[in-house]
Amino acid sequence: MNRKSRLFIYSFFVLSAILSVEIWYLFWAKSMDEEALRSKREFVKTVQLPDLSISTEASYIRHRSLSDFFSAYRDDGTLREYFVSTYTYRSAPYLGDKQ
Amino acid sequence: MRSRFNLYITEYAINSLLRQRYKTLFIFFILSALVFLLSSLFFITNSIKHELNSTVDSLPEITIQKIKAGRQDEIGVEVVDEILQMSGVQSAVARVWGYYYFENAGVNFTLVGIDEYEEQYKESLNSISQKLDFESSVMMLGEGVKRVMKKSYYKEYFNFIKPEGTMKRVYIGASFEGDTELESNDVIVMSKKNIREIFGIDETKATDIVAKVANPNEIATIASKIKLLYPDARVITKDDLKISYQNIFDYKSGVFLALFIVSLFTFFIIIYDKASGLSSEEKREIGILKALGWRIDDVLKERFYEGFIVSFFSYITGIILALFFVYILKAPLMQNIFIGYSQLKTSFTLPFVLDWQSMALIFFLSVPVYIAATIVPAYRSATLEVDEVIR
Repeated sequence: MNRKSRLFIYSFFVLSAILSVEIWYLFWAKSMDEEALRSKREFVKTVQLPDLSISTEASYIRHRSLSDFFSAYRDDGTLREYFVSTYTYRSAPYLGDKQ
Repeated sequence: MRSRFNLYITEYAINSLLRQRYKTLFIFFILSALVFLLSSLFFITNSIKHELNSTVDSLPEITIQKIKAGRQDEIGVEVVDEILQMSGVQSAVARVWGYYYFENAGVNFTLVGIDEYEEQYKESLNSISQKLDFESSVMMLGEGVKRVMKKSYYKEYFNFIKPEGTMKRVYIGASFEGDTELESNDVIVMSKKNIREIFGIDETKATDIVAKVANPNEIATIASKIKLLYPDARVITKDDLKISYQNIFDYKSGVFLALFIVSLFTFFIIIYDKASGLSSEEKREIGILKALGWRIDDVLKERFYEGFIVSFFSYITGIILALFFVYILKAPLMQNIFIGYSQLKTSFTLPFVLDWQSMALIFFLSVPVYIAATIVPAYRSATLEVDEVIR
């Protein structure tokens, strides 16, 4: 086997090693520990609000309890309101079915 | 047919790749970039989902809101007593909360009211705040709110403007632990009395009502009972919330998956197109190999190794970069897709979750498809007669 192919095979092992070390490091340093999980649960239990505060300008995103089933499509955080298009929507066919 | 791993063919494949190093590098970069983009997106989605799902069980089972003229309206607190009388309902609480728009910074704070005299609140707040000093005119802040207020020189107190135009001064107390930042960033917790004053909510009214149900099998029945009792109410169960989460993340990552599949197929069409019109040199190479005694399956095996090496290297590189990008660099640019256009952004420290499913999905979308795109044209050349190929 020549030098280039050997280097190539070694680089494969190096990449795999980097991936494993990275996963190990993230597991060790960045995963949610018991303590964090406990305080998160405690917080949610206290304020009783369902969502993550990852978007505050769109109320329906911050608190899903304020939105209906369509708002994932209508009121998405990245979607700016524009009349006509976002104003009308057709409800799902199963809604209003005679039971 | 010998299916044994052939080291010599592998070596030949490596050398063949190194001979066409610019083409190989180009494919490697493009494929790595595609894997990187999609896996970063999946990692972010998965972490947020994990975060939500790990806390969703702490939520009350049923939320009841009054709907008036298609919008949410204040609900009477007397509803609580009626709900409590239903069998199966463990507890029901009238929540007082809302958004306060702080014009100076252009952000919405989420104000949450709690019963200041209830011991359980004090205990739970004690364990999630850095320092608790809870009086009636003191509020607890999320980290993001604290930052924004500090920027506007509100270090000790904040003046809320009430609906009638007067001010309500509330002193800044403790702030929430950093651990809860994804949940608490925009939250201000204070007593219900203060919240009612700030928002102008009457004593007999509340924002909505949350009910706890002990037996999960009874949730649907109780929800429909409430719905029957109050036809103007919107009754949301915990499952509805979960579905709603699922929708929004499926929607967001679905848009990107669609884009990714389009770009992936464009890429493969280019590869296939280039490879199916194999250059005369490459054809001659296959011809010579065959003349030297290689069988069709040897040639295919060699092409398989080539395809596998390139795509697998790209896959691993893409995953390594994506993990680094999402969890160590905290996904700059891409996080905006998920956190919206808010001014009050969280620091976006997502918990790491090893997302095997997405990794497998991306693997099967990239590696075998690429291998197929390299093997098929080689098979067509390899099955031709030797003299025809060389000529």
